[in-house]
Amino acid sequence: MKKKQIIAILMAIVMLIGVAACGDSGNETADDSQEDAAVDTVDDADTDEDVDADTDTDEDAEAGEDTEAGGDWTIAVVPKDEANPWFVRMKEGVNQYAADTGLDVFQRGPAETDAQQQIQVVEDLIAQGVDALCVVPHDPGAMEPVLQKAMDAGIVVITHEAASQVNCDYNLEAFNYDEYGAFIMDTLAEAMGEEGKYITMVGSFTNDSHNMEADSAIEHQKANYPNMELIEEDFKVESEDNPEVAYQKAKEIIKKHPDLKGVVGTSSFDSPGVGRAIEELGLIGQVFTAGTGMPQTNKALLESGAVHALTLWDPADAGYAMCELARMVLDGEEVGEGTDLGVDGYNNLELDGKVLTGQAWITITKENVDDFNF
Amino acid sequence: MLKNLVKKTEFYVALVILVIALLIHVRSGAFFQTNNILDILNASVVPGLFTVSTFMIILSGGMDISFPAIAALTSYVTVDVLNSINYEGSMVLIFVMAAVLGALCGLVNAFFIASLNLPPLIVTLGTQSVYRGLLQGALNAQQINMLPPAMGKFARASVYTAEDPVTGATSHLPAGFIIFVAVVILAYFILYRTMFGRGVYAIGGDLVSAERAGFNVLAIRYFLYIFSGIVAGITGIVRSSMNQMVHPTNLFGIEMTIIAGVILGGASLVGGKGSLLGALLGMFLLTMVQNSMLLLGIPGYWQTFFVGLVIILGISITSYRNLVAADKAKTLRDKSKEELVNE
Repeated sequence: MKKKQIIAILMAIVMLIGVAACGDSGNETADDSQEDAAVDTVDDADTDEDVDADTDTDEDAEAGEDTEAGGDWTIAVVPKDEANPWFVRMKEGVNQYAADTGLDVFQRGPAETDAQQQIQVVEDLIAQGVDALCVVPHDPGAMEPVLQKAMDAGIVVITHEAASQVNCDYNLEAFNYDEYGAFIMDTLAEAMGEEGKYITMVGSFTNDSHNMEADSAIEHQKANYPNMELIEEDFKVESEDNPEVAYQKAKEIIKKHPDLKGVVGTSSFDSPGVGRAIEELGLIGQVFTAGTGMPQTNKALLESGAVHALTLWDPADAGYAMCELARMVLDGEEVGEGTDLGVDGYNNLELDGKVLTGQAWITITKENVDDFNF
Repeated sequence: MLKNLVKKTEFYVALVILVIALLIHVRSGAFFQTNNILDILNASVVPGLFTVSTFMIILSGGMDISFPAIAALTSYVTVDVLNSINYEGSMVLIFVMAAVLGALCGLVNAFFIASLNLPPLIVTLGTQSVYRGLLQGALNAQQINMLPPAMGKFARASVYTAEDPVTGATSHLPAGFIIFVAVVILAYFILYRTMFGRGVYAIGGDLVSAERAGFNVLAIRYFLYIFSGIVAGITGIVRSSMNQMVHPTNLFGIEMTIIAGVILGGASLVGGKGSLLGALLGMFLLTMVQNSMLLLGIPGYWQTFFVGLVIILGISITSYRNLVAADKAKTLRDKSKEELVNE
């Protein structure tokens, strides 16, 4: 009997806390954008969250009025995964844009790389009534319905790394993926001495940009490097955007094909995972990998030679450029061939349908890795 | 002897492992190479550790799906704290710290499950969400690439190294494997050599009867969830060391594979039935299949399909055998009843 009473009291306490917490979070969902933006610009996430939340409520109301007056926009950037350093770097660019323009610009994404969770984040932001959404979709196909919903609600939609996206105002690409894939192939071919067998790896089979890069890398090889050979036609390895999977699969594929000499990596986890396998297998100098990857994360692998070179674009610039593009559309400025977004590599965009393309790629080797602080 | 063997679920799981291994070997010629065996053992360390604690909990009629979250949270906090003081000491403190944090998380699970008698699946569903929330919300966790030097050394430490005669490629049995073996031995000793372990089987069979028989049900259940927390903490460190990074999310989702492996190995979801060996074999089967898709030459899209197929096939075999056993018991009962009536 007594035990039951204790349990009942405990439950009541838990429920009370729960209700209190819900109250809080209720406020938060409404103000999250504000809170994030405010917190981010001040660059101080830890102090006085409650105070912040309170003042934010007021700000929110003001912002609402301002929006109707025009010019003061709320722009949300949705990355694939908040924890991924790539998008952490993107957030720097987004925050920079907020600081430069004074607009309410913030980045919020799902806690892990998951199409469903990302859709949920977009749903929440639509409900919050943002003016523009800049999305880097994990699965562009799955994202279509919710983006259509956003556009129906009058929200400007900019996507990135999703050339096939239908429901968007513009899709912004750092570069043409065909040219970038060819660029990765050139980098790998140089390491392999322009001969030997190779394979391509993608983050997921449904990822547009990874597959375009891999395909054009193969095409480029066929046209320019006759002594190189794809190990199996129509065969790609899927790394699930996870370095552990890339590592295990690389070990497996090297067992299956002992004559493998090169791996093209497209996801930012591919080449680093493959490099770890090459290092562990003691095959540095025999098997090579080149592909997208973050400089500081992979410094050791670059220096040991396990990864020949990393190719990439700067996600901070991409984030900044997306926000500027969103602002231009919101303000009704003309966007098209030759548009300048004020960021290196995005100064003279090409337009094809809805796809705007820059020329913003960079190569990272052990010589210049220290020039990049992300 | 052979007749006894044929009755055991473990025998069938081992048989499936052997058949698939042969299939892989025929297709690739690479399965029974020392390098490949070492690679699969290497890949089994993390799921293996999780399997031991999860099996013990399922055996007791409980459930724990919070262990990946505990592993992620404890390894993140441990590394983050030690990094902030530029820790350069030995591995022991790192493991102890993660284990203590894991034990605390397990204690929370145990309190709700054993003291308040709430359903384990729902409790751990809730706590895993809380632990993830703490990690990603309160701690704003991001990937950590710089680990304490001891973890790098631990990752490179090799118990046994094999070199492929053709390619010269080397494969290692990592030091983490020793930890896995130690945990297995510990769990085996507890389960099969102590009254405490009998108690785990007993409460899985029937909680009330176990209590009446004199087992300290509360203590046993507390122990199991705390043990699971400790194992999760240690596993988080092993995994982070091997990966040379702490990643806050990439362990999530592994819980379903672990539970599938345990059930595949003959354990009953309602508890009281199964063996540690069976659970480990089940885990090994799934790890082996997941790490042999490329060797088998199964194209990308079909890989998840094939893994699912193996799970369903494996579970079907074990449940069919249980069904047959139940049928036999029933006919025996009916027979004895008939005999009674006839008398």
